[in-house]
Amino acid sequence: MKADTRPDPDKLLALVSHDAGGLLRGRLKIFFGASAGVGKTFAMLSEARRLHAEGRNVIIGVAEHHNRPETLALLDGLPVLPQKTIEHRGVSVRAFDLDAALHMKPDLILVDEYAHTNAPGSRHPKRWQDIEELLENGIDVYTTLNVQHLESLNDVVARLTGVWVKETVPDVAFDEADEIALIDIPPEDLLQRLSEGKVYVAEGAPQRAADNFFKKGNLGRLRELALRRAAERVDADNDAFSAAMGQSEAATGDKILVLVGPDALSERLIRHTKRMADRSRAPWSALYLQTDRHETLSDKARLRVEHHLRLAEKLGGRVVRLIAGGAAATILGYARHNGFTRLVLGHSRPVWWRLGLPSLSQKLMAQGAGLEITTLTAEQTELRPRDPIGHTLFATAPRTYLMAGVAVGVSTLLGLPFREMIDPDSLVMLYLTGVVIVAARYGIGPSVLSSILSVAAFNWFFIKPYYSFTFDNISYVLTFAVMLATSLIVGSLTARLSLHVRLARRGEAETRLLYDLSRALSAARGIEEIGDAVRRGLTAAFDVEVALWNDGAQITGVPETDPRELGAMQWVAQNRQIAGRHTDTLPSASGLYVPLPGEPGVLGLTPRDRNRQFTGAEWLVFETVASLIASALQRARQSREAESARVETENEKLRNVLLASVSHDLKTPLTVMNGAVASLLKMRKKLPREAVDELTSLWGHLTGLQKFVANLLRMAAITSGQLKLNFGPYLIQEIAGAALQRIDPQKGDRQLRTVTTGQIPMVNIDGALIEQVLINLLENAIAHTSDDGIITLSFEADADRVRVRVSDNGPGLPPGEEDQIFEKFHRAGGLSSDRLSSDRSGQSNGLGLAICKGIIEAHGGLIYAKTNPTGGASFIFTLPAYTHAV
Amino acid sequence: MTKVLIIEDEGDIRRHLRAILSAQGHEVLEAGNAQDGLKALTLNAPDLLILDLGLPDQDGQDVIPSLREWSQIPIIVLSAREQEADKIRALENGADDYLTKPFAPGELLARIKVALRHAQKQSEVPQVFERNGLKVDTAARRVWLEGESVHLTPIEYKLLSAFIAHPGKVLTHAQLLKAVWNRHTSDQTHYLRIHTQHLREKLKDDPLKPRFILTEPGIGYRFQD
Repeated sequence: MKADTRPDPDKLLALVSHDAGGLLRGRLKIFFGASAGVGKTFAMLSEARRLHAEGRNVIIGVAEHHNRPETLALLDGLPVLPQKTIEHRGVSVRAFDLDAALHMKPDLILVDEYAHTNAPGSRHPKRWQDIEELLENGIDVYTTLNVQHLESLNDVVARLTGVWVKETVPDVAFDEADEIALIDIPPEDLLQRLSEGKVYVAEGAPQRAADNFFKKGNLGRLRELALRRAAERVDADNDAFSAAMGQSEAATGDKILVLVGPDALSERLIRHTKRMADRSRAPWSALYLQTDRHETLSDKARLRVEHHLRLAEKLGGRVVRLIAGGAAATILGYARHNGFTRLVLGHSRPVWWRLGLPSLSQKLMAQGAGLEITTLTAEQTELRPRDPIGHTLFATAPRTYLMAGVAVGVSTLLGLPFREMIDPDSLVMLYLTGVVIVAARYGIGPSVLSSILSVAAFNWFFIKPYYSFTFDNISYVLTFAVMLATSLIVGSLTARLSLHVRLARRGEAETRLLYDLSRALSAARGIEEIGDAVRRGLTAAFDVEVALWNDGAQITGVPETDPRELGAMQWVAQNRQIAGRHTDTLPSASGLYVPLPGEPGVLGLTPRDRNRQFTGAEWLVFETVASLIASALQRARQSREAESARVETENEKLRNVLLASVSHDLKTPLTVMNGAVASLLKMRKKLPREAVDELTSLWGHLTGLQKFVANLLRMAAITSGQLKLNFGPYLIQEIAGAALQRIDPQKGDRQLRTVTTGQIPMVNIDGALIEQVLINLLENAIAHTSDDGIITLSFEADADRVRVRVSDNGPGLPPGEEDQIFEKFHRAGGLSSDRLSSDRSGQSNGLGLAICKGIIEAHGGLIYAKTNPTGGASFIFTLPAYTHAV
Repeated sequence: MTKVLIIEDEGDIRRHLRAILSAQGHEVLEAGNAQDGLKALTLNAPDLLILDLGLPDQDGQDVIPSLREWSQIPIIVLSAREQEADKIRALENGADDYLTKPFAPGELLARIKVALRHAQKQSEVPQVFERNGLKVDTAARRVWLEGESVHLTPIEYKLLSAFIAHPGKVLTHAQLLKAVWNRHTSDQTHYLRIHTQHLREKLKDDPLKPRFILTEPGIGYRFQD
C-alpha cells in the first residue's frame, strides 16, 4: 500500500464531525424539486410530523400551504412560530421572526422556500441568510428549493424557459447542506395537478409567463436539471468519502481560472466556470486584473466588478485581484505559477480601432501553450436580468469628452488672431498643447477625441480656403496625418503618464493615511485617545462620520441612537462579520460596520453624502484600519492590565507588611504579659489570696485577648482577600483529630463524640484553615453548652462532597438568627457586650463564625446553622471531595 | 545541666524565657540579634537554640540553613509568624520545632524536652523501639502491637521507620515523601495520605483520637513521643 493512499485521519475526522455536525452547527436538509407543485412542502411537513410524534422539539417557522387542504391537514397539531410585523415606509408586512426562532431554540425548525427574498428592513435581505444564522446557532433546519433558484443554474433555466428568476440561492449554501431530498414527479402528473388547481402560481404573475413555464417540454428539462444537480451532490459526497479513505481517483487535477471584468459577459463566464468546475470537480478562481484601465472606469463599472467578484465567491470560487500593466503576460504567469490548467475568458470581437493589433483573448490564445482555453462570445440578444447596478458603455463620464471639445475651441481662439502672420505648421503646436492638457487631465478617450477634433479644426480655421474642409496644397495631407499621429501618440503617452502619477499619488495617500493613523494609534494612551486618533484620521480622508465601539460602549463619534444603526452594530459585534450599507446583511443601515479582528469592537462608517457607495479599495482600507485599531485597543488593554496588576501587587505587598507588623506589635506585648502573669502565678504560694484571684482573672482575660487578636488578624486576612489557600488532599478525620486535640484542654467535663457514616472520601482543602474552622465551631459549641453538655462531630458524604456537622445539646439558636450568626461581631441573642471576651470560655468574640464562613466559602463549600429538632444547635459545612486521576 | 541559647530581639520576652528555663534548671544564654547569637553559639557550644525569626540584622529563616551547614544543634523556632509556609520552610531547612507567639510555657518546655532527647539519640540507632504498646525491631524489620505481630507492606514499614527515627518531631509532607519514595516533589501528597491511612489502620490508630501518628494540618505529621 502506498503511503499516500492511506486514509487521512484528519479528513476522516472532519467527515465524522461533519456528520455529527449537530454538536455545534445545526443540520440543514433541503427538499429539492424541479418546479413548484412537486410536493416539497408536503414531504417536508410529513417528515416533521413524524419527528414531532417521536418527541423531537419541532417548530414551523414558515410553511407555504397556499390553502391546500392536504397541506393544511399536515400542519394541524404542529407548533407554529408566530410571525412578526415589519413596518417599512408605512406599509406593514408579516414576516418570519428570526429572533423569536433563535430565542426559542427548537431542535428543528421548518422554514419553507430557501430562495425567498425578505421584506425590506429585515436583518438579512435573503431567507437563506436567516437559515444560515439559525444553523450557526445550532438549530437544525428543513427547507425547500426549486432548481431554477440555484445561482449557477439561473441563466440556464432562463434560456430554457424564458423566465428570469430573481430569487436565487448561492450554490455554496446548497452544496453545504447536510442532506438533500429530491422530490420528483413526472411532468405529466405535475401538469395534471396543475390543471386540478393544486399548484400555486404566484398571484399577479402574468398568465403568459406561467403558461410558458409550465409547458411539458420545460418541465422535462427542469426535471433533468434537478436530477443532474442532485446527482452531482451525491457524487461530491462520495468523493469526499473516497478522498478521506485515500481513494482519490476523483481528482482530475484540473484547476480553472476565469477572467472577469466590468462587462455583462463576466456574469455568464462565472456561472459557466462554476458548472465546468462542478462537472470535473475542480477548484476554480475568478481573476480580476486591475490594469490602468481600472482607474478610468466609472464608479458604476467598478461596482460591477465588485459585484462579479462577490458572485464568484457566492458560487464557491476563490477571488484574486492582480494589479499589473501587461495583461496577457501577468495572467499567464499567474495561471502557470498556481497550477491552473484551464482558462475561461470572454472573446472580444475585433474592432476597427485596434488597427489589427491582437486583442487580449487573441494574445492569450497565441501565448497560452499548455493551457486549455475556453472563450465565450457576448451575445447582443443575450437575455439579462434588469441590471441592478447599471452598465455604462462609456467608461468615463461624458463631461470629460465635452472638455476635449472645449480644449480644441480654446486652442482655435488663441490661434485665430495670428493665422495671417504665422506659418500654419507652427500653429499645430497650439493644438498639440491642448491635446496634452486634455490627455493629462481626462485620460485616453478624451485625448483621442481632441486629437481628431484638432485636425478637423486646424483644417477648417487655418488652412486656406478657410471655413471648409478642402485644402489647396496636397502637402497638407502629410501635415494632417503627422499631426493626427503625433497628437494620438503624445496624448496616449501623456494620459498614461499622468494616470501613473495619479495612481502613485493615490497609493501614497493611502499609505500615508495608514502610516499616520498607525503612528497616532501607537502614540495614543488609553481608549479615548485611540477613538480621537481614528476619528481624526478617517473623517476627512473618506468624508465619513466615524463611530467606534468597544465592549458595547461607544468610544468616539456622535452618540448613535438610531435603533437600526445600533442593531447593525450589535449584529456585527456578535457575528464578527462586516455588515450594513451595501452588504448582504442589514443593507438598509446607512453606515457600514466593520468588526475589529480579535477585539470585541466595531468600527462604523457613515458617508456624509448619503448616496455615495464605498468602493472595493475603500473596503480594503477599512479592514486594514480595523485591524490597526484592534491591535491598538489590545495594547491599551494590556498596558491597563499590567498597570492594575502592578498596583495590585503594590497594595498586596503593603497589606502584607501592614498585617505582619500589626501582628508582631500586638503579639509581642501579649507574649510578655502572658509570661509575666505565668511567672507570678508560679509564685502563688508566696502571694496573698486576693492577688492570686486577680492574677487568675487577668490570666483568663489575657487568654481571651490572645484568641481575639488571632481571630482579628485572620479576619483581616480574609476580608482583604489575602487568604491564599494551600490546597491538598486530606482525610477530614485526621484534621478533626488535630482539632479535637487542640480543643481538649477547654472542653471541661463535656463529652465530645464522633460519628462517621459510611466511607468518607478525601477532601481537597487547606488543612490548617479547615482545622481552624473546626476549632472555632467546637469552641462555639463549648461556649454554648453547660459543663455536662454533649457535642457531636459527625461526617457523611454524598457523590462529590463531604458534609461535616458539629451539634450540641445547648439552648439552640435564637429563632431567625440562623444566618445572622455568621456576620461579624454578631452575638447570639443580641447579647452585646463591651468585653473583649465573654462568659465561660472566653470565646464568642463575634468573629469565630464569620471566619468559618469566610474560609468555607473560599473552599467553594457551604456553611449554615440550624436548631436541632431535639434541641441544641447544629453547624453544618460541606467541602468538595478530592478528585485525582490515579 | 543544659545550655540554652535564646536569639530574640525583644528584651521582655528574653527575660520571660529566662525565667521559665532557669526554673527548670537550664543555663540560659541570650543574644539580641543574629550576629551576636552566632558568636555565642561558637564560643559557648549551647545544647539548644531558641530562635526568633524577626531579627533586626537578619531574617531568622536565613539563619537556619547557614547554621545547619556546620552545626547539628537542636533549633526551636519561636515566632509571631503563623503562616504554614513559614513553618514548613523553617522545618525543611533544619529547624526541629516551631512555636508561635504567644506560647504556653508548658508547651515550650515539652518541646524542648523532645528536642533534647532527640538530639541525644541521633548518634545511637536503637535496635528495638518501644512506645505506647508498639514495638519495632529495626534489625529484623518486624512490628508488634500489644504483643501481636503486625504485617506491614514495604512502603508502610518505610513510613513507620521515618516516624520512629524522629519521634515527637514534626515531619513535613516533603520530608516524608523524600524519606519513603526518595522524591523531591510535594505534589504526590495523596499517596502519602493513603499509605498513612493504611498504616494507621494496621496500628489501630483512629485519626480522630490518634495514639501514634498526629496530624499537623498544612504541615505534615508528628509521631507521638
